[in-house]
Amino acid sequence: MSCPGFGEVNIPSSRAFWDDCEEDEFDSIEPASQLHLNFNDGEEEAPIASELLVLVEGPQITEFCNSSLLQDAKHICSIPAKGSSLHLNPTKAHLVATLEEDFNNSGEVTELLLPYAQLAKKVLTITVKPKMDYKSEDINRYRDEVAIVHSIGGTAADKTISKLEAPNFISGVAAGVASWRQQMELPFNSYVVYVDKLPIDGVTAGPLIKLLQQSGVHCSDRYVPKPKPSSYLYS
Amino acid sequence: MLLLKDKSKSLNVDNYTVIIPSICVGNAAQLACDLLIASKKLKRIGSLSHAALIPVFGPSAYQHEPNECVASCELYESKEDKLLVVQFRAPFISKQTKRFQHEFVTLLQAARRVIILSGSFGFERRLIDGSPWAYRATDKFKADHATQLGAEALVKWKEHTGEHIFGGGNALQLYKAFEDAQVPSMLLFRYLLEGDNSTDATLIVRELNELCGDFLQLRVDGDAGDGSFKLTMPSSWNLLFGNDVTELLF
Repeated sequence: MSCPGFGEVNIPSSRAFWDDCEEDEFDSIEPASQLHLNFNDGEEEAPIASELLVLVEGPQITEFCNSSLLQDAKHICSIPAKGSSLHLNPTKAHLVATLEEDFNNSGEVTELLLPYAQLAKKVLTITVKPKMDYKSEDINRYRDEVAIVHSIGGTAADKTISKLEAPNFISGVAAGVASWRQQMELPFNSYVVYVDKLPIDGVTAGPLIKLLQQSGVHCSDRYVPKPKPSSYLYS
Repeated sequence: MLLLKDKSKSLNVDNYTVIIPSICVGNAAQLACDLLIASKKLKRIGSLSHAALIPVFGPSAYQHEPNECVASCELYESKEDKLLVVQFRAPFISKQTKRFQHEFVTLLQAARRVIILSGSFGFERRLIDGSPWAYRATDKFKADHATQLGAEALVKWKEHTGEHIFGGGNALQLYKAFEDAQVPSMLLFRYLLEGDNSTDATLIVRELNELCGDFLQLRVDGDAGDGSFKLTMPSSWNLLFGNDVTELLF
């Protein structure tokens, strides 16, 4: 019986590059090809002005967004980051971007969405993160919460939502758009929801649905995830 | 994309000293820049966004500017000392980094001098009793700092001549890009290991201050002449190693 890795020198990899490039490989890396938004046939490719641009970003967030947020929305384009997409709710003139967490492309996707952020009257960003990423000196206070909600910037609609404190932060497309709106001094609200379980289930979705509804986003009252045929035991 | 708080479209770095951290082992260079920014109470003047940078947004990292928000690449300035400190808060996307580097060097080309801080894996240090510091400097930088870098008795650092700095991120490539642009530049790095690198950060600042005391101005007014100075730990260093262990474990 062997013990893999035992006695082997484990050389740490570089911290500098998210996409696993090492210092001696950097010179030979080919530049990335440019990403584009993939529009539906016949769809207008010019950025659309909206009353509100909503960005919901997180790992495995697509199913929740599809079933709770996008029922009456029209698909505008696919965003080149895993299963991400942009939708329009024509009755309220809300644009909704559902963004799967993909840090490799998040800087470039942010640049693609900035024209929409520029034309929007208001921007709402919600970043969903696992609860284990949340840092607090009083962490035991939150041990029974299914979700911890904090605002990061802007004029929060609900004054009961406390501000996020350092050293916590958000990253990704939602972070890029919120940061840009903040620096351009344009109205925005940015929130982070730390959830107990990912992908989110019916219980952890509660605080997220409440936050969306309080922010004036059309969203169903409850979320029932599709039943999975297999267990998570070997996944 | 350059976003400055005063809404101007270009960055004026004429006659400025620019300090840039590379994203290195233990994030020591970024921690050193954190110490510099917090200790000298540098003013945030703007940020840079680029496809090579993972966007970051969050509450202020420093107690002296509580209403600011952090971004993935930020610019901090001291007008009196003509000092600009860049801070990175996210790793790079390697496929986009060369383009970023090119634009970054163009932006800072007018600087009087550029100092890149970095670190390398401790096990890359071949001589155990040798100096834990190494540097590279352009001819112009060496000539400008001949008193400090020219005197062998004073310089404890070893001049690096290798092709790579393992664990040093893009420090060497960035240094070469500044060298090609004929900006007087120096790359200073320390051999270190992952762990609590706050001490390494302090040592980097101290070492830098030995060379650049004239513009860093970190010495406390009226000190005892022992070269001691006070460093301020930024609020973002709180919980550097995560939360307390949950009570539920016991």
